[in-house]
Amino acid sequence: MTTSETESLLHNTVLFCRALRERGLMVTPSEAIDSVVTLDAIDLDDRQETFLGLRSVLTSRVEDFPIFEELFIDFWNRLSHKQPRKSIERESHGHVRLSSTVRGKGLAFFLEHWSDGKAGAEEAIMPVASSTVSMAEKDFSLFTSDELEEIARLARRIVRRLARAPSRRWEAVRRGPRVNLRRTLRRSLSTAGEVIQLSFRRRKPKKTRMVTICDVSGSMDFYSRMLLQFVYGLQTSYARVETFVFSTSLERITENLKQRSYDEALERLSKGVGGWSGGTLIGASLAAFNSGWPRLVDKRTIVIILSDGWDTGEPSELAAEMAELKGRAGRLIWLNPLLGSPTYQPLVRGMQAAIPFIDVFAPLHNLDALRALEQHLVL
Amino acid sequence: MREEVRKIQELLRGQIYIADASVATSLYLAMRLGKPLLIEGPAGVGKTEIARVLAAALATRLVRLQCYEGLDAATALYEWNYSKQLLHIKMQEATLESAAEKEARIFSEPFLLKRPLLEAITDPVRSPVLLIDEVDRSDEEFEAFLMEVLSEFQVTIPELGSIRATHRPYVVLTSNRSRELSDALRRRCLYLWIDYPTFDKELEIVRAKVPAISEALSRDVTRVIQTVRKMSIRKVPGVAETLDWAAALVALDTAQLDQQVVAETKGCFLKDESDLRRFETEVDDGRLKDVFDSIS
Repeated sequence: MTTSETESLLHNTVLFCRALRERGLMVTPSEAIDSVVTLDAIDLDDRQETFLGLRSVLTSRVEDFPIFEELFIDFWNRLSHKQPRKSIERESHGHVRLSSTVRGKGLAFFLEHWSDGKAGAEEAIMPVASSTVSMAEKDFSLFTSDELEEIARLARRIVRRLARAPSRRWEAVRRGPRVNLRRTLRRSLSTAGEVIQLSFRRRKPKKTRMVTICDVSGSMDFYSRMLLQFVYGLQTSYARVETFVFSTSLERITENLKQRSYDEALERLSKGVGGWSGGTLIGASLAAFNSGWPRLVDKRTIVIILSDGWDTGEPSELAAEMAELKGRAGRLIWLNPLLGSPTYQPLVRGMQAAIPFIDVFAPLHNLDALRALEQHLVL
Repeated sequence: MREEVRKIQELLRGQIYIADASVATSLYLAMRLGKPLLIEGPAGVGKTEIARVLAAALATRLVRLQCYEGLDAATALYEWNYSKQLLHIKMQEATLESAAEKEARIFSEPFLLKRPLLEAITDPVRSPVLLIDEVDRSDEEFEAFLMEVLSEFQVTIPELGSIRATHRPYVVLTSNRSRELSDALRRRCLYLWIDYPTFDKELEIVRAKVPAISEALSRDVTRVIQTVRKMSIRKVPGVAETLDWAAALVALDTAQLDQQVVAETKGCFLKDESDLRRFETEVDDGRLKDVFDSIS
């Protein structure tokens, strides 16, 4: 390989890494260095091996693969210099259309400036990243049933975190991370002061409870099924979750969700619950919750309300019930799918009345929002 | 294809592990760049097996750390043998050793319990393969600790000082994605995704692992399993299930598959009650019809 060839290889590799980073992959200079080492270590004439080798170095999760594949084609074509520039671009655009239905502006921009070399790539880095559409940013209302599985997975993940949070209290255990000196000494008395058996202690896990109250009225139709999927995921893997749904009246569906599969749970739900997708009486429903299940909520409870705040009842009633709930709960979270829309202002009267009592007011319209929720779910 | 990659592929094949190009390339680069290899994929596709086979192929030791919730440094790295220390103090009570001497003695290597991580970096002879299995089951705190060990290959024991790896282990991490691993850990590793095998690859695996199976039967078994994976079931059968089933059929002296035999032995590859029911419905709907037709 001549010096100029090495130069151009380096140059193209760096551009390739930048393009990947621009599309959201975790590619830092250290990965770029690794990929240069990789290119040296593998058979550069073997397209598959180059592809597999670089993919191993430059991706870090399987979700990165489509983007990598897409950009690799251009990288490979540039590398091999086998075709004139025009035809390369046409071919790669065509392929993109085939392989990926959601093509971000990032790639188009990048391809346009690919041939200009450095200057173009430099420009391409800044403005376009946010416009890239990925599954994580897609609104729930556009989701297919396949993607529901991802929601369930996320719910399980959040639950694991919830269940694991250690409290500051200790408890004695047979085998644990710390020696329980006090009990060890105490036990040694029975063997004339000789320590034979050690006792241990560990942090007691926190017993956080969660109550979700889910709006299933007409205005929430788009979202309620997704949200129930999420709640189902939470509940199947975490015992201390209570679930309610409401539209004009409140119903406890904890038992209905205790089914082995979501389909079965939905079936039981549709049989057992009336008033789906009707009007909304948030205030009255919360009043029913506060008076009907007062013992469910204490300072170790996170209460999550999923609703868009379109209330046909009296705002003053809602405010009073929210105040009471706020007084008893450890944390009060209101998730509003509409909050994800950039133009949304919480002007709805019901929402206005509720806001002063909310600890966390967050969107819940896509997977990113779900992920962001995780941090609020530990008391 | 690079000579080294082909060689790795052959070495793995020698251990009866059918590795495609992506596995071989990733392993080669992990060794070449000296980086840990993070393997993800559905259950039962042979993630853990790679580490085992790699160790056998390199004729080196396999050190395995099985992760679980609450796994901590004491269980993963080292722990002092408290009971032995106490016993020793008692026994030495009468001697004239000073307190400092006693302390130095009980905090020395004979009183150290080596756990897998320490075991892996102190191998005196050659680089072992360190398998950190199901790393997603450990918690974030442990992940951070793990990264420290993996980046330096050096651990510090306050009473003994620093121990640096004599031979850097080859590190393989596996994850079932029950929890999102931190970006920092992912970045530190090379990445390999193993999916369910294609028909050809699975057929090859069945024939390699169950040599007693007839050509026709192995083909039919693989076809059925590949079809089952496309059904909407909860616990999708992995390669391990395919092999179990194949071995079971051989043990039963099955000459060829038919609906009856499949119904009798379906428990080998379906491990969930609702899946069994689902499978029956799909069979009744004629989902496996073309497979059975081609057999008869």
